[in-house]
Amino acid sequence: MVEDPGLRICERLEELGPSVSVAMEISFDSYFDAVRGLVDNFSNSKGLHCIYITSSIPATTLLGALETLEVDTEKVHFIDCLSHMLMGNIDPNERMIFVESPTMLENIALKVEYLMRKNGGEPATVILDSIDSLAIQNDPKILSEFLQILLGGLKARETYPVVISMVEQSRPEIREMVHLVCDEVASYFEEE
Amino acid sequence: MARDSESERCRTGIEGLDRILGGGLPRSSITLVTGDCGTGKSSLALEFLVRGAMFGEKGLLVNTVEPFGKLISSIPRFEFSDKDYFEGEEIMTLELPDLLESAGLMEQVKEEKAILDLCARLQETILENGIRRLVLDSLTPLHFEIGSERLVHHLLRRISQILYENDCTGILVSDSGPFSEIEKIVADGVLVMSNYDRGGDLLRTMQVIKMKGADHSRSRYAIDLTTMGMLTTPLLKGGMH
Repeated sequence: MVEDPGLRICERLEELGPSVSVAMEISFDSYFDAVRGLVDNFSNSKGLHCIYITSSIPATTLLGALETLEVDTEKVHFIDCLSHMLMGNIDPNERMIFVESPTMLENIALKVEYLMRKNGGEPATVILDSIDSLAIQNDPKILSEFLQILLGGLKARETYPVVISMVEQSRPEIREMVHLVCDEVASYFEEE
Repeated sequence: MARDSESERCRTGIEGLDRILGGGLPRSSITLVTGDCGTGKSSLALEFLVRGAMFGEKGLLVNTVEPFGKLISSIPRFEFSDKDYFEGEEIMTLELPDLLESAGLMEQVKEEKAILDLCARLQETILENGIRRLVLDSLTPLHFEIGSERLVHHLLRRISQILYENDCTGILVSDSGPFSEIEKIVADGVLVMSNYDRGGDLLRTMQVIKMKGADHSRSRYAIDLTTMGMLTTPLLKGGMH
């Protein structure tokens, strides 16, 4: 049963509180509900900044989708790891930072740090969307090291770190690694 | 002369670097920041001065490479401070020709006496203005100007002594290459900035090779030069073979 995943995600994060890294397993059909739940039902309703790392959909597309869903995106900043590599639209934009390649994992961590500082260290939700798309280009060993460093740093700052995993794309070794690195696993998909 | 510093460490104010150094640069020391072009040496050195000014420590930038305006325009405009410290009295700037001219040395810099006079002029400036942080950016043109390794060594030894005696902490910027070997010997600390190529991705990195009297990290870190200052994160090792 997966009724209103957006609200369920919001409830789960409220329950866990800050400084707990959450692996969020979702399916394609609940993707936009889940994103809306994270950005709107959770981040916006708590007045948090939202740092959205995207390696699966270009930030402009994602921003457009959120606006279509009438989600307030004023406090959302995107770190786009895809558009540069795809030679897509990388026009300078206050809301988006572009990382040259999803393999430049250190630069992703540095951009998160930059946005945290730019936001004056205020509480934030940090969403990594998704670990599976990063796994297309990165070795699991370096990816687990990256996650450990990124999540460790975020947990120390009372943020809400969320790692999205798409069940349809997830490879067993990546799923296992995410379960190991994250503190909690929350699943929002129908088991077959 | 005994040092009158309250603390043995000079906090650079660059959070990641201070963590790597175990608190900051040893006070009154001289640190060489060396590396290839475009790796962030000048940005680091200028941020050291600006952060110092924010802590109330006056700085002096001796600029040898390019006009000051051009140097400033090549680095990100820092957003962590509302004030332009280079406009005020907190950070003095001197261009090498001005320093040589003020010491009456435009033509004789290849002589030992000229080196001593140059250092005396530098010391005067430090004392008269209560300078606590010095940046010399960069040493490479001085090698060409002076032309003698022995004299360059002599100059660096004297600068090191001046800083120690006047409770001033210094950063020397130098391009990597055969010249930087002399600086490495004289400097109390060596910080290497480099470009790290991982499968075609060029990452800026930083590594502290030597820092006398400091229990520092020797790992390599990835850096980013941003308007919020220099940011650091550990360089990932998972993909290395």
